[in-house]
Amino acid sequence: MALPQPLRTSVSPQELELIASEQLVEILPLITMEKTAFISGAYGPLRPPAKCRIPLWMAVNLKVKKKCHIIPPDWLNVEFLQERLSRETSYPEFSQMPFRFAEIAKAILDAAPDDVQNAEKVRSLLKDLREARQAKSREGLAKLDHSELSLPNLCSMEINELRPFFIHAMGVLTQLSREEQNGAAEEP
Amino acid sequence: MDTDDPDFFSRLARGDGNTFEDLLRNAPRDDDGNPAQPRDVPFYVEEEPETPLQQLIRRWVNERHSPDVLPTEEDLLSRLLDHIRSQSETVQLLRSDPSSSEEEHFRIMFVQTEVERVKFIVRSYLRTRLFKIEKHARYIMTNPDVQQRLSQSEVDHARRFARLTDQHFYNTVLQSLPESQQTLDDRILFVPSMITEPDKTRAVFVRARQNCPPVRLPDGTALEMQKGHISLTPYWVVEELVARGEVELV
Repeated sequence: MALPQPLRTSVSPQELELIASEQLVEILPLITMEKTAFISGAYGPLRPPAKCRIPLWMAVNLKVKKKCHIIPPDWLNVEFLQERLSRETSYPEFSQMPFRFAEIAKAILDAAPDDVQNAEKVRSLLKDLREARQAKSREGLAKLDHSELSLPNLCSMEINELRPFFIHAMGVLTQLSREEQNGAAEEP
Repeated sequence: MDTDDPDFFSRLARGDGNTFEDLLRNAPRDDDGNPAQPRDVPFYVEEEPETPLQQLIRRWVNERHSPDVLPTEEDLLSRLLDHIRSQSETVQLLRSDPSSSEEEHFRIMFVQTEVERVKFIVRSYLRTRLFKIEKHARYIMTNPDVQQRLSQSEVDHARRFARLTDQHFYNTVLQSLPESQQTLDDRILFVPSMITEPDKTRAVFVRARQNCPPVRLPDGTALEMQKGHISLTPYWVVEELVARGEVELV
């Protein structure tokens, strides 16, 4: 078949990671490379002590071969995440995070745990953050109706998690409201 | 503050850090949480025009989430395919050169990896369209409007596929039924149509790429999305915004 069953209604986390890996990160290269033209743009030149911005997938690739250090983005550190977590637990709304933070954090922590300060702590904070936000989105389900639900500051990975259930729930509500209207129209 | 002070304006112009405003401006921000003014780092800073690859990724994700087939992007695709071809040729050329250094080796590897990544996206994009085309083949063949959205080869495929399935149904079952029951497009009252149509009431997650004009919701109210707004709503509500590229499905 043209598209495998699990991919028909949703996107897999791996595909989301692929999309997020197009974003640029800063690295500290350990090899030299001339400026090179890629389909997504031209990157380089890499000159060892100078930092350089390249797509995440390239950085991960270089890191695996031990040819660079990845400089984590501003939000991937203990202080920032701690602050977001406390905000997350004290306010009802979702706090603002980069749209694809989960994917980027995973890719960097998998490939370069030694480049992130206190990586274990960062990992557990990310996990706490995720759980706090999940609890909120479950509460948000109560507000679901058949027309619209605003989800400010929700992130791509979280949307993907909620997708099957929320879409189904909304479908059922649409059907119910339609029947209600039909019933009301037939009554008089 | 005494504005009659003769020095007031000159001091203001000099901007020496003693005026009350200056003190206020330089004062450390109160951290006791005022959620109305979060000192958030803006995360959407990149305002550069999309590269062709980013466009394709957006179209791919839109296609994956929308229940209906979206307009084909033949120009974009052919441009990217040309780019893939030229990159592959460059790689071939560099590889055949035996004197390539280690640095060259890395460049070749990256170019090749990227070509594979883009190929994956192109394939997945086309397969998603193919899946919808096969699912709604009969609907597409009875609807010239929808055919406008497909490329020529996609229309050909839909036609062949519809004919094949019709033939198959006829050979296996329909030929032994009474003639009045042999059709595949009966429209009986209160029974769902025999032709599968895209379900435009299916909900989608949508994110505004810019401030959007208001759209009408099923319950009669209007929704005006600001840039970055994320919402879950039936597909038909945002169909036009998606077509105009003002929102993206996520």
